[in-house]
Amino acid sequence: MRKILLGTTAVVSAAFGAAVITPAAAQDAPTVRIGGSIQAYYGYINANGQSSNPGGTGDFGRIANSTVDAATGRGGYTNVTALTTNNTIPGFAAGGTNGIPTSAQATPAAGSAGNFARSGKSDFMTLPGISVIVSGKSAQGFTYGGQIDLEFNALEGNLSGGNRSSVQRSTAVVGEAHVFVAHQRFGQIRMGDEDGVMGGLMNSGFVTNFGTGGVYGVWEQFQMRQSGNRTQTGPGQLGDNTKVVYMSPQFYGFDFGVSYAANGGGFGQTGCSSDSATSGCDRAYAFRGATSWAVSPAGSMGPMARRNEHQAALRYRGSFSGVGVAATVGYIGASTARDLSNTGAQVRTMNNLNVWQVGAQATYMGFTLGAAYYQGDYNFFWGNTIRGDRQAQTINLGASYTNGPITVGANMVTGVYEGGGRSDFNAAEGRLVRQANPTAYGDRNNLASQRRWGMSVGANYRLAPGLDLIAEYVYHSVRENGRDLDAARAGVQSRGFANVFIMGSRLAF
Amino acid sequence: MQQSMRHPILAALLITTALTACSGGRQVSNEEYGTDNARERILRGGGVNPTNAGLVVFGVDRSQQNEQGGPGGVSVNAYLWRATLETLSFMPLASADPAGGVIITDWYSPPTAESERFKAQAYVLGRQLRSDGVRVQVFRQIYRGGQWVDQPASSATNSEMEDRVLSRARELRSQTSASR
Repeated sequence: MRKILLGTTAVVSAAFGAAVITPAAAQDAPTVRIGGSIQAYYGYINANGQSSNPGGTGDFGRIANSTVDAATGRGGYTNVTALTTNNTIPGFAAGGTNGIPTSAQATPAAGSAGNFARSGKSDFMTLPGISVIVSGKSAQGFTYGGQIDLEFNALEGNLSGGNRSSVQRSTAVVGEAHVFVAHQRFGQIRMGDEDGVMGGLMNSGFVTNFGTGGVYGVWEQFQMRQSGNRTQTGPGQLGDNTKVVYMSPQFYGFDFGVSYAANGGGFGQTGCSSDSATSGCDRAYAFRGATSWAVSPAGSMGPMARRNEHQAALRYRGSFSGVGVAATVGYIGASTARDLSNTGAQVRTMNNLNVWQVGAQATYMGFTLGAAYYQGDYNFFWGNTIRGDRQAQTINLGASYTNGPITVGANMVTGVYEGGGRSDFNAAEGRLVRQANPTAYGDRNNLASQRRWGMSVGANYRLAPGLDLIAEYVYHSVRENGRDLDAARAGVQSRGFANVFIMGSRLAF
Repeated sequence: MQQSMRHPILAALLITTALTACSGGRQVSNEEYGTDNARERILRGGGVNPTNAGLVVFGVDRSQQNEQGGPGGVSVNAYLWRATLETLSFMPLASADPAGGVIITDWYSPPTAESERFKAQAYVLGRQLRSDGVRVQVFRQIYRGGQWVDQPASSATNSEMEDRVLSRARELRSQTSASR
């Protein structure tokens, strides 16, 4: 044992040199800063799925009346269903008196034909955020620090009001929170809720330095959910699940990093009932419904089925005749939770997360060009796929040009992913059941690929350091043959689209 | 796949140990990693270091020191300063004043011409990365009659050295931009 201890000490001393064994004198007390950002945008959104019922006989129980009203000279509507019960709307529970809806009326039944809404095309959006940043230097020569990011518009779908009964949209949530220790000789270790090395820290090829980030910008926050127009497989969108990250120093232009997360959840696990895994228990390695949550983790639960997420990245940065070059190759992997049958058997229903990514970019005289490609087992929400699903491929291209205070750029992303899912888990039988082939156009298409395509052009004008004026246009579409992506319209709409124009300003301090 | 991934990670850790044992790597600053934090993205786009922005509520604001490369640090453009040091690194350094931006080398004889020696003085003139931000003056002596005698250096030598400094500074700037 003594030999082992001595040997270990020798290796550590050789590896980390005098830094470990010789205290340095230049200790800095920690400095604490508060910074933040405010983004304020106007958005014009022309997308499908913004109206759940554009018209027709189901229009609030009335039909259009083609007869011109003699008194007003205008067309009108004729009631064809009884609205005589006070304040009763089709699809809602009947009841209420004197114009006061009952609680049942205030809660429309999910999927009810009476859930009618029509949404406007213009909106404003504010995205505030505050960061607390700590930095210091230890007597041993380590730099250290941490950061807590508070976001105030991250609760998608929540009400703007709801003072009495709901969490408001502006409620503060912690985006990232991590602590780091770094040294020139051995690199940096981060722990906490943070992106992984291939989930945003060391990627190359994503050109997002114009507008609000183009197809990876804030246009998504103007979207309705009906058609699923999102660009969710960007580098920073894999998730800030709690993890440990190691990133090396740079050697001859190369640096590398690895990260590990036990599961897809953030902030650890406290007070979770063991029998309610589907309500957000991230530590469960087998639970009923795992298959469903894995496919659609962008719902309220997050990437529930992800387990043992591990990432590795190797990055090179250098310059050749004045051209700055950065390139990264990396891997994202994770195992997956099992589904539980009625008899308690753990059934492996999903593929591991298994993604390879390569990206590169070049910068010269203000021009930046970049491209990234990634392929493997993942869906368009970075979720695990069901066994038998196809692999996904995504390609991303971008370019920008900066001249003084002006930056213009464009980027695009296109990818092919599994569509509706080819199998379902049958808990009674304890096995995956492959869906029957579609028999008619419009049936659930269980053998379809889904293609997602987005492009953007945008510009920034820098009024002052940290203050930008922004204009940006984004087009995004989702296509899946035979799948109805806009149920409100007649027939099967195999294509969902969104056009978003954004103008506004952003300030960081 | 999970099993197979453990080996590359293990290998990476071993490589790190080996590399740190053999040679000192360059510390990668936090600004060289990607981020999806809105504040950091906005500040980086404007050329502002997010670590040095914001309101200091506790401790000492060391952003000036950090920008200048340490206490009593560089008062001139960091790219030009570093590029000048690297360009003249083949000669022995006599003095370097980062506050004033002056670098003076000692005499240096090329191995191929030992009867000839050179000395250089470089002035980094300001905080901005400009083509006229650096001046290099090269002095030349030849060994004649048992002593070193001053000889004029070619005027092209000075401008050639300046061009090399500027090229290297541009490379350093490009490398930093590419990592954003």
